[in-house]
Amino acid sequence: MSQPNRIEGGLIDRGRRIDFRWNGRRLTGHPGDTLASALLANGIRLVGRSFKYHRPRGIFSAGSEEPNALVQLREGAAREPNTRATTAELFDGLVATSQNHRGPLEWDLMAANDLLSPFLSAGFYYKTFMWPRAFWERLYEPVIRASAGLGRLSGQPDPDAYDHGFLHCDLLIIGAGPAGLAAALAAGRAGARVILADEDFRPGGRLGAETYEVAGRPGADWAVAAAAELAGLANVRVMARTTVYGAYDHGIYGALERRTDHLADSGGKPRQVLWRVYSKRALLTAGATERSIAFGNNDRPGVMLAGAVRAYVNRFGVAPGRKVAVFTNNDDGLRTANDLRARGVEVTRVIDARAGDVVVDTRGRKGLHTVFLNNERHVEADCLAVSGGWSPNVHLTCHHRGRPEWREDIAGFVPGGGLPPGLSVAGAANGTMTLGAALREGHETAAALARDLGAAGAAGAAPEARDEPFAASAFFHVAETRRRAWVDLQNDVTAKDVRQSHREGFRAVEHLKRYTTLGMATDQGKTANMLGLAIMAEASGKTIPETGTTIYRPPYTPVAIGAFAGRARGRDFRPFRLTPSHDWAKENGADFVETGLWLRAQWFRRPGERGWRDSVDREVEMTRASVGICDVTTLGKIDIQGRDAAEFLNRVYANAFLKLAVGKVRYGLMLREDGVAYDDGTTARLGETHFVMTTTTANAVTVFRNLEFARQCLWPDLDVHLISTTDGWAQFAVAGPNSRALLQRVVDDLDLSNAAFRFMACTACTVFGGTPARLFRISFSGELAYEIAVPARYGDAMIRGLMAAGEAFGAVPYGTEALGVMRIEKGHAAGNELNGQTTAAMLGLGAMVSKKKDAIGSKLSERPEMTREDDLRLVGFRPVDRSVILTAGAHFLTAGDPADMAHDQGWMTSVAWSPGLGHSVGLGFLRRGQDRIGETVRAYSPVRNQDVLVEVCRPHHVDPEGVRQRG
Amino acid sequence: MAEFAFTLAAAPTLGGADIAPGGNRIAERDDLALVSVAIPLGGDRALAAALRKGWGLAVPGPRLSAVSDRARAIRTAPDQIMLVFARSGPDANATVQAALAGAGYTTDQTDAWVALEVSGPDTPAALERLCPLDLQPDAFPEGAAARTVMEHMGAMILRLGADRFLLLSASSSARSFLHAVETSYRHVMR
Repeated sequence: MSQPNRIEGGLIDRGRRIDFRWNGRRLTGHPGDTLASALLANGIRLVGRSFKYHRPRGIFSAGSEEPNALVQLREGAAREPNTRATTAELFDGLVATSQNHRGPLEWDLMAANDLLSPFLSAGFYYKTFMWPRAFWERLYEPVIRASAGLGRLSGQPDPDAYDHGFLHCDLLIIGAGPAGLAAALAAGRAGARVILADEDFRPGGRLGAETYEVAGRPGADWAVAAAAELAGLANVRVMARTTVYGAYDHGIYGALERRTDHLADSGGKPRQVLWRVYSKRALLTAGATERSIAFGNNDRPGVMLAGAVRAYVNRFGVAPGRKVAVFTNNDDGLRTANDLRARGVEVTRVIDARAGDVVVDTRGRKGLHTVFLNNERHVEADCLAVSGGWSPNVHLTCHHRGRPEWREDIAGFVPGGGLPPGLSVAGAANGTMTLGAALREGHETAAALARDLGAAGAAGAAPEARDEPFAASAFFHVAETRRRAWVDLQNDVTAKDVRQSHREGFRAVEHLKRYTTLGMATDQGKTANMLGLAIMAEASGKTIPETGTTIYRPPYTPVAIGAFAGRARGRDFRPFRLTPSHDWAKENGADFVETGLWLRAQWFRRPGERGWRDSVDREVEMTRASVGICDVTTLGKIDIQGRDAAEFLNRVYANAFLKLAVGKVRYGLMLREDGVAYDDGTTARLGETHFVMTTTTANAVTVFRNLEFARQCLWPDLDVHLISTTDGWAQFAVAGPNSRALLQRVVDDLDLSNAAFRFMACTACTVFGGTPARLFRISFSGELAYEIAVPARYGDAMIRGLMAAGEAFGAVPYGTEALGVMRIEKGHAAGNELNGQTTAAMLGLGAMVSKKKDAIGSKLSERPEMTREDDLRLVGFRPVDRSVILTAGAHFLTAGDPADMAHDQGWMTSVAWSPGLGHSVGLGFLRRGQDRIGETVRAYSPVRNQDVLVEVCRPHHVDPEGVRQRG
Repeated sequence: MAEFAFTLAAAPTLGGADIAPGGNRIAERDDLALVSVAIPLGGDRALAAALRKGWGLAVPGPRLSAVSDRARAIRTAPDQIMLVFARSGPDANATVQAALAGAGYTTDQTDAWVALEVSGPDTPAALERLCPLDLQPDAFPEGAAARTVMEHMGAMILRLGADRFLLLSASSSARSFLHAVETSYRHVMR
């Protein structure tokens, strides 16, 4: 028999059938169903087990506030746990399973926890698992984690795509219920740019679930017509299946759009899109959430919110039960009974707390069958519709720490002060609980906002509707009940837990929340918080407003981490920057390393080489013996121009730059404001008013930013202009004794002899018959060396041309590793030495900080602590036993001293195997290093289990006099 | 002339990419030269005159571009303009310098950027997934230009028509940029 509980009516498409599977059973439903409504139509009431006690649980609500009916959707890698059945739109082929049970759902082995409930009350874990300490991580936590919890992740990478996006509007309307639709019509007709977002797939909010009339027609029909009119307005964007989950700064809201969750196949399109919505104003019309009443065994499958019962009957054409009892503290109860009777569902009794009748207990292990009243009577019922009143959905009004205010007449919290700037509230979310008033408020608020925003069109009239009877009473729990009365269904918190929290001194609401976990589940206590507060207020003899509320934070409903990540996963996690010779390097066996966003060749593997060391040793040896070529495009290049460019450089570099001649390059050291060295590089003067600065690869952006700050904010009176040219030039280092001979074959008509083009010279020139280029005679390796730059579009051809021209010399390409070996051999500082803690003096560059001028950081670099003679100094190291391989990070100790921090003498910053010297060489900082050349110290590395003797030497292991680079 | 004979051929950053996701088009524009012009301190008038004389261009205001039959000028900073014009050789900078006769400091930016012209019916929807700016025609009309960030990459956007834009981003990350643009189209195209 199919869909035994399907009744007449509803807003579903009965002409089409949808097949789906629940725990392996084949079931059917119709378009317009949620998974929850289809399960109820099929007579399924038990859908899950509770978090802690593994109690049987059913469907409790008909919306995103659902605490109970959490299920797993889809299969394999696409499986998604903890999904609310009440918001999951049914589609053909949907596979859903229940979660949080061992064995079948009906016979969950973990249900034994329920028998232990006297021991599992609030604070149980805190009190019980304190001792012995070591047991927590090894025993208690794994056991608790295995037995508690909700669904299971697939453990496989998420196969779906997600995306991010940006939207802009004058007015963002959050919620497309009656107030939201009326608001969107008013602002849209007036001509404002409107976005109307709603989490549901059907517009109208409660209008679909109730039998109200709007403008003389059924409310659900009016909602469809209103949405159709809005869809026809070019200035309005209606976004269904879109939850505005957070209010952020400057009118920015986060919204999650579920694009393909309701489809069997996403067609390769993103499943969800996380939108950043920039709004000038926003209007919250998020309605209200119905709450339960705490009474004995109020968690059985079949106990349901009364508004949800009406939604299933009116919107989905489903009877949640065949014999329904109603328990209410307000006028909603009668409406529920009337709606049920109108659809031919038997109502066995209306129990109105205002008349003194209350429910004290229920029976029915896997589904409700009997309801017990306070007057010793009982009622047969397979469904109990409970209405404890409505709580306005104030959540987003609290995202900037605004606190809601209590309103006695509706027995609920309404938006208080401290709303996010630009946010207004209308309708039930604002405490305007009846339909006619909500429509008017939505219309009027939006019309006024549209006028404020300069939309001059006519907003039209507010839609007319009657105001239904509404009388709330502040009745939250049945005090005389002796059974456990559930407050937070999702986290299994009972009224007793709340009272116990009070007894044990956790009386502030924020303490109550943490001690009992009330409201801390994935539903954030949407149906539970009010009950908990009311019981706490009663226990402490305070009023509810005196007791206060906890704060709401984004997200309003859970957002998948995948949606936050968007496209930024796997190889798309971040962009890659490639040098112009990248493809050539790939063709030639390069292994790449990530340096920032750049991919750089770290070495070039040749046939027969057994590992990276073979490649690097060969590259170093060939470069030092003949010539090597390295792509150095990644170094930051900044074009600096202006009448005051030289003066500007003189102020940002610690050393002098004012008198640098045109056609010359100078090494420069930059200090931070606090005097610590932070970047170095060379700057070339190409013309009287034109310089090109190079920075380290890692600091290119930081240096540019600092220079812009200096130019715009410190010295706006200087005529100096900056623009990055890092990507504009393909730049290659050509190093080694044959570099001059190689380049002489490449450049057009330029005398490269030592007399004509000396060390630290630069010039614009052309190469290979007319292509513009720049040539710099600078050396990082210590060899005779140049750097040659061509516009990036020629970069690929240039590396091929250089290699072809170098073939006669056995030219080799070298990567960053060989570059590193040669700079360590030469004693040049790099990132390991410029670590943000080192001063010019420590680097042995103290003399570079000019005393004759003021530059950024120069004054503070003179502080006594920065210039101590007994401070760390950069020196070189080699192992006493030359066969030992040194390790970076080792700390230095004076021989005979104990290995502790009190005797620490510094550390090894960089090491390399020098193929030329045939032993390890290192650089490092040693206390009073400058006076200890020739001494022997211990290099001690407990991490790598190394303790060796090293000889202190000058940092320049190769060509200390600099003969090669100047030759 | 260089002793060693070798033909140094220029290669477009993306090899002249030209793809058509759905009924749309993403095409690399490697025929465009980009030269930045910095306005000397106190030299606004002289530069405006030189720009008008040399290129028939007005100095554009913030988030705007100016266009003549020879070139387009985009305002990129308070003291900076980017000239965009059709030219394939490596001599764009010299051309601009000659035309401005010292009224501005010029830097060739052609090779620092990759230029993609995107067009087609899904373009506004694709850019919603990529560009944080409000591109609604009233807010960003034809000729509007702005600097922004797309998928973590610095970028410039210029509106050429209702569904036609020029996107500029760093040439070193051009492949990632093209991937991001193409992915945006694939995510929204029908």
